[in-house]
Amino acid sequence: MGAVADEASLIARIAAGDAVALRVLFARHHVRIYRFIRRLVRDAAVAEELTNEVFLEIWRHAKSFAGTASALTWMLSIAHHRAISSLRKRREESWDDGAACALPDAADNPEVAAQKRDAGAILRRCLDALSPEHKGVVDLVYYHEMSISEAAAVLQIPENTVKTRLFHARKRLSELLRQAGIDRGWP
Amino acid sequence: MTEDSEREEIEKLLPWYVTGKLGLSDTSKVERFLAQHPDALSQLQLIGTEQQETMRVNEAMGWPSSDTRDRLMASLPRSATPSRGRFARFGQFFRMRPALGTQWAALAMALLVLAQAAFIAVLLTRAPTYRLAAGAHEDGAAALIAFADDARAADIARFLADFEATIVDGPKPGGVYKIKLRNLDKSQLDDTLLSKLAEHRDIVRIVLPSRD
Repeated sequence: MGAVADEASLIARIAAGDAVALRVLFARHHVRIYRFIRRLVRDAAVAEELTNEVFLEIWRHAKSFAGTASALTWMLSIAHHRAISSLRKRREESWDDGAACALPDAADNPEVAAQKRDAGAILRRCLDALSPEHKGVVDLVYYHEMSISEAAAVLQIPENTVKTRLFHARKRLSELLRQAGIDRGWP
Repeated sequence: MTEDSEREEIEKLLPWYVTGKLGLSDTSKVERFLAQHPDALSQLQLIGTEQQETMRVNEAMGWPSSDTRDRLMASLPRSATPSRGRFARFGQFFRMRPALGTQWAALAMALLVLAQAAFIAVLLTRAPTYRLAAGAHEDGAAALIAFADDARAADIARFLADFEATIVDGPKPGGVYKIKLRNLDKSQLDDTLLSKLAEHRDIVRIVLPSRD
């Protein structure tokens, strides 16, 4: 509660034009925001640019922060919106790339072949091959450890949709793993 | 609810059960189901692995470049700043374009201030001329007077005009001036008149009879 109040007071200071408060908020959260965006847009330079845009938006609209959700939830919501808008503009992104999880082939060097045999590495590649919609919910729940209601607030969808979306993301993950030669027995 | 739909409903909750982010009611629901369906416990292992690898995938995203913050701070749009503190608000006040009526009022005030400044300048720089003027009223009643610190030049001028008085000397130490009241002789400058002069406390702070 104290941390939440502290963040709310930081945002109130930003709303009053306190650039030092923005620096503090940036120092606390920019890595999380950057990683969340980079996972969605798959480009480091674009992710950096969008991360800065998120904090610029916070600077401009800090007064609109209602304080009903945590500051991080609010920031990730802005980040998600920015990342999805950027992807819509680019459109060239190709998702559900099953090749990302493929079995080793003769053309792979020994290191790549060994990686492909590593179940953990295959799972990571399949996590990376999920659609932005599925990646978003997976990261919010597993990496940012958000509750159902917090994830719903970030994605701006109903709570039941959050549960269903993660369920389908996990099913898709199983499909990709199966294509990569790993059957994990579910669903 | 069929067993399949119940299983699906529970499976949808399991990720939050594993991360410890499920509400009490849903947690009880999940635990009841797991107690009755131990085969579903294998799901917890799968979810644990998914979370662990999701963490690793995110950690592998690294950090933004070290100059990101500097670029952010440099790009803060000054004009879009919601509010920039009391000093900026002060500046903003002067950048505001007032209504036409306000502009005329401001112009009138500025002229008045200039007139007051000119009057004070005359008081300070031409005191000897008052001595010369005194020649014309040498026989009039004289008083020593010190003006209030915050008295405005226009009020001082009006005060002197009302009493038909003229400054003939000063300022002396303590900011005291000698005035002559044109139409009165020495015998008429009694305590009553001094009291009348002293009544204007917003203009004068000291009124004394002059020995001259």
